[in-house]
Amino acid sequence: MTAGNFAARAEILKLARVLGVEPENLDYLERVDEDDLRAFREQVTDTLFDANLVVLQRMALASRLLPGAVLAKIAERVFGPMLCARIAGLVDVNRGIDVAKRLSPRFLAEVAAELDPRRASAIIARIPLDTVVEVARELTRREDWITLGRFVGHLPDATVQRSLEVVGDADLLRIAFVLDDKSRIDHVVALLPAGRLTKVLRATVDDEDLWDPALDLITHLNDARLDTVLALVDELPAGLRERVQATIR
Amino acid sequence: MAERTLADQLGGYLPEGIEALDEDEKQDLADSLHDARRRQSKHLAQAGEEALRYVPALLRGAVRKAVGL
Repeated sequence: MTAGNFAARAEILKLARVLGVEPENLDYLERVDEDDLRAFREQVTDTLFDANLVVLQRMALASRLLPGAVLAKIAERVFGPMLCARIAGLVDVNRGIDVAKRLSPRFLAEVAAELDPRRASAIIARIPLDTVVEVARELTRREDWITLGRFVGHLPDATVQRSLEVVGDADLLRIAFVLDDKSRIDHVVALLPAGRLTKVLRATVDDEDLWDPALDLITHLNDARLDTVLALVDELPAGLRERVQATIR
Repeated sequence: MAERTLADQLGGYLPEGIEALDEDEKQDLADSLHDARRRQSKHLAQAGEEALRYVPALLRGAVRKAVGL
C-alpha cells in the first residue's frame, strides 16, 4: 500500500465512523483522491453536526440548570458517545470540562472517536492532563490510531508530550501516518525525549508494515531531525535503508 | 431509498472525485447519510425524554421548558 493509498484508507475509516457504516461497505471510495475524500468527510461531518442543531442548542442551554454530577450521569447512561460528541462543542466550556472530568476514560475515548475536534477544541485544550493521558492510554489499547491522530493538533504541547509516553514506538509511527495535519509531525517529533526518535525508527526492523509509515514520517522532518535518521540509517533493514537514502538525498 | 440526492443533502456541491463516482455508488452514500441523520434524530428524541428521569424533580419543569419539550 502506498502512502497515498494508506491516507485514503484512513479517510474511509473516518468517514465510515461518521456515517455509522462498516468500512468495507465503502471500498469503492479507494479510487477517490485523499483530498477529495477529506473534503467530503468534512461535508458529511458538518451536515450531521448541524442537523438537529436547534434541539442540541436547547439541550446545551438546559445543561446550565443541572449540577455536573447529574449531567455526567445523563451523558454516560442516556446520551451515549455520539450525542455527547454532537453537543460537546455547544456547551459552556467550563461546564463541558467539569462534566468531562467526571466521565470514565473508557467513555471519553468513545466520545473522542465520535467528536469533531474542530468544533470542541476549546474544551479539548483544557481537559486536565492526567485525564487526556488516560484517554490516550485507552485509545492505544483499542489501537484507535485515527482518533489519537485527530487530536494532536488540538492539544497543548505538554499534554501531547505526556500522552506520547504511553504510546509504543511502533504505534507512534502508525499515529503519525494517519495524522490529520501532517505539517505538525516535525513539531511533535521535537517534543520527544532524546533517543526516542531512534527507538521509533528501530521499530521498523521487526515489522515491514511500518516501512511506509516510517518513510512518510521522514519526509515530514526538518534537517535537524534528519541528522538523527542519518545516524542510524545503517541499522535499518536493507530494503528500507535504500528507500530512506533515496528520500533524504 | 433516500429521498434526496447526495449533492442535495450536502448543499449542492460535491468534491470532484465524489462527483465522478458511479450513480449507484453516490446513491449508496446518499442512503448512508440519510440513514445516519434519521438515526441521530431518533436517538436525540429518545434521549431527551429518557434524560428527564435523571433530572431532580424540582428542576424538571425548568429543564422541560428550556429544551422545549
